[in-house]
Amino acid sequence: MKITLVKKILADGSPCAKCADVQEKLESSGQIRQIDETLIADERDSDSPGMQLARELDVSRAPFFVVEKDDGSRDVYTVYLKFVKEVLGQQNSAADEAREILENSNDLDFL
Amino acid sequence: MAVDTIATVDVDKKLQAESPQAVLEYALSQFDDIAISFSGAEDVVLIDMAHRIRPDIQVFSLDTGRLHPETYRFIDRVRNHYQIDIDVLFPDAAAVNKLVREKGLFSFYQDNHQECCSIRKVMPLKQKLLTLDAWVTGQRRDQSPNTRAHLPVIQDDRAFSRPGDTLTKFNPLANWSSAQVWDYIRSNGVPYNDLHDRGFISIGCEPCTRPLGPNQHEREGRWWWEEATKKECGLHQANLDSK
Ligand code: SF4
Repeated sequence: MKITLVKKILADGSPCAKCADVQEKLESSGQIRQIDETLIADERDSDSPGMQLARELDVSRAPFFVVEKDDGSRDVYTVYLKFVKEVLGQQNSAADEAREILENSNDLDFL
Repeated sequence: MAVDTIATVDVDKKLQAESPQAVLEYALSQFDDIAISFSGAEDVVLIDMAHRIRPDIQVFSLDTGRLHPETYRFIDRVRNHYQIDIDVLFPDAAAVNKLVREKGLFSFYQDNHQECCSIRKVMPLKQKLLTLDAWVTGQRRDQSPNTRAHLPVIQDDRAFSRPGDTLTKFNPLANWSSAQVWDYIRSNGVPYNDLHDRGFISIGCEPCTRPLGPNQHEREGRWWWEEATKKECGLHQANLDSK
């Protein structure tokens, strides 16, 4: 299994705040050791490795994780808490998971 | 049957040019475990369209406990009109109890709507979607030109999918305007929520929805006390589309 984290640089050159938050959580928990590769999706460069991967996998937000399994198949996670629960086995509260989903999803306001 | 990511992107390109009815035909032909998310507003058109294709279409609604009385009555009217079961989902009582005990009944006016909506809407929605292979929403691009400019007709829903599985989300009305939805409602005699006759365009929970005056966009009728939704986490579509 190979885990790739894709982080974003905004169009004005600043780092994405959510990406920094996720990075901090991964580091403080030690889970960063399980991330095999980190790619940058630079909004100023559509050929940056993270932008290429986002295009290839039809991902429209960052940060996101790609888990490549031994059979070559890939799972994409756009919700951090879903990733750490399903891939790294971390226990989360249902309310925290729901909150992250809502904060990441502008389109859920139709509910 | 599951639709994989690459197929979803290709299928979206084809379905973008199709009518909502054709999108629903496709969706219902591909999935048995599929349900319409019904908010008690104009998305009733989806029920009308789907009912003509599959009379026992699955429908669910999120009862946050804070809906208008008119919306509760409307949900029941739709249930009787189409003779369908509507699965009314409730929030986790312990989670609501904790929120209300700690922050009162109107915390969303002080904080923002995220915490309350997470508990009253997203948690029950997440539980429901774990039982489905696909779901259908009434989202349209014209509801929010900023955040929904690139709304697909079919998409891979990665936020709510079961572990190791796919969940497909259909937005058959993505390319319809509000005027087209209302033309459909009027010309087909589709029942609608009485609140629409009183200036409500977008209908959600009672404390978080207000009627609008002329020339106000429907987004101004929801959570009007908050700043515009932050969009930082989106990857600029122009860059993604550039190849
Ligand atoms: S719309 Fe308002 S009342 Fe309803 S769940 Fe969200 S914050 Fe709570």
